[in-house]
Amino acid sequence: MSNPLGEIERAFRDVSGLDQMRRYTEMALDEKIQPSEIIASMRKGLSAAGTKYEQGEYFLSELVMSGIMARELSEMLKPYLRRDESQSLVRIVIGTVKGDLHDIGKNLVLTMLSSAGFEVQDLGVDVSPEKFVEIVKREKPRVVAMSCLLTVAMDAMKNVMDRLTESGFRSEVKVLVGGRPITSDFAEQIGADGYGADAIEAASVAKGVLTR
Amino acid sequence: MTTLDHTEPDVVPITEMAIEPVHLERIAQTKLVGESSLQTQVSADRRAETNAIAATVLAYQKLGFELVPCELSAPDGWKPRKNPDGTMIDEWGRILSHDTKCRTWVPTGSIFTDSEDFERFPLADPDAPGRMFAIEEMRRRIGDEMALGGFIRDPFACAWEMFKINDFVRWLYEKPSFLQRVIENVTDFNVEIIKQIVDAKADLILSGGDYAEKKGPLVPPKFFKDVVFPNLRRQVEVAHRAGLKFIKHSDGNLNPILDDLADIVDGLHSLDPSAGMDIGDVKRRYGDKLVLIGNVSVDNLCRKTKKEIIEETKGCLHKAAPGGGYILSSSNSWYTDAKLENCLAMVDAGRKYGRYPIGIRD
Repeated sequence: MSNPLGEIERAFRDVSGLDQMRRYTEMALDEKIQPSEIIASMRKGLSAAGTKYEQGEYFLSELVMSGIMARELSEMLKPYLRRDESQSLVRIVIGTVKGDLHDIGKNLVLTMLSSAGFEVQDLGVDVSPEKFVEIVKREKPRVVAMSCLLTVAMDAMKNVMDRLTESGFRSEVKVLVGGRPITSDFAEQIGADGYGADAIEAASVAKGVLTR
Repeated sequence: MTTLDHTEPDVVPITEMAIEPVHLERIAQTKLVGESSLQTQVSADRRAETNAIAATVLAYQKLGFELVPCELSAPDGWKPRKNPDGTMIDEWGRILSHDTKCRTWVPTGSIFTDSEDFERFPLADPDAPGRMFAIEEMRRRIGDEMALGGFIRDPFACAWEMFKINDFVRWLYEKPSFLQRVIENVTDFNVEIIKQIVDAKADLILSGGDYAEKKGPLVPPKFFKDVVFPNLRRQVEVAHRAGLKFIKHSDGNLNPILDDLADIVDGLHSLDPSAGMDIGDVKRRYGDKLVLIGNVSVDNLCRKTKKEIIEETKGCLHKAAPGGGYILSSSNSWYTDAKLENCLAMVDAGRKYGRYPIGIRD
């Protein structure tokens, strides 16, 4: 008799694809295993896959596939989650800042944050400072995450920080920044609360700033 | 051309794979007209293309560059499909958005949502007349003053952009033979294009498109070994049969696939320092096989001072120039947000310290 939770963890750790993940998730649900336990197994597997990526054993495609699997698993579990479980998630809004159309890094971070249990709203690319402020005002997220690939877009991150301060919403949210040209020095310089060097780090940085 | 044969010329040659419009206009003291993209063809407006070629030649002459790259042209009369949201679709089904700051079109989406979409999509015809318009015009204008590199798009990178990352990766797991066929199809296109580039009298082939990101190759090395590299080799062989060298561009950390790559291509461009590529290390390991083109950091061109750029350039020359087989350039191109004074400082330092025999002082 196989252990579906162990197999789910293994499917994520080995990035074995959607079929394996679906088969064992269905098996776990048939066995009335709690969604929270399934999610815990997924996170263990994801974390192991993330470590392998960090260590150079896995490559970007494996990281992306683990994200695709995580999103699919979350969809499969939605009907089984209690209302309070699905509503208690911490909300993060994420976008690539104005002047930058790149989305690969931003999408990876989105996946990793979702997999880590955050409710993530994607604002897309080329997001203006006004749009960030408007969303903070309207949706009241706990965290704003900004990404960019181009150096030219770094000024836009500073602009978002300025607009958040001017509008009086800066203290309402934690701000995370990341992207190819971003450094921890730059994050500090513009007054961001956290900086993630890559998608794997993003989730732990988000958790870290929320506990401060 | 001496340096391509791993022999020391008089001075280290200098080039850039691209100079974005804002800098090109400042250097050439001219105004560009029409649409442009560094990754694909967006127009068959020959007047605009001629204007861009004239500006490029003027800028590269003023800078004293030894190599000028040139993109393919779209076929005569071709027009991109324009979408109501302001995006357009290129010949490969990539959706392009206009980057207003850089004034170039960049791939941001795809019309393909399923592999079936691709089956119904008419493949680009390499023999459509007009594809060599720009390369022929460039050759006519530069004569023998500079080497001319004909730009093609790498089939793997083309497929990656055609399907966007999520679908590409999903199909890598679920439909690997489909991806293999797409890469073969684009390779077939490139093979025919390379023959035309040879006939248009280019001096070498430059293949754009990334294989890697900061941490390593975009897909496992096995996929490169089994699918990407056999197709890369097919293109290189066509170039070699005509006596042309083949230079591969890629950002990112190529180290895990560098052994294989060095056996196939003649040179590498970018050697992305932000991804940990150490030009000195690559020179030590592959300097007898690969011409190296790079790698003054594009990030540093944006952020650092002139003095720091001069030091960085000296470092590149010191590590990669001895013995020949080295062309100085940035680690990608002169972006809009690079400080032009830094770019020019890189060129000046290249001229000052890049005279053979390399004996860098002060």
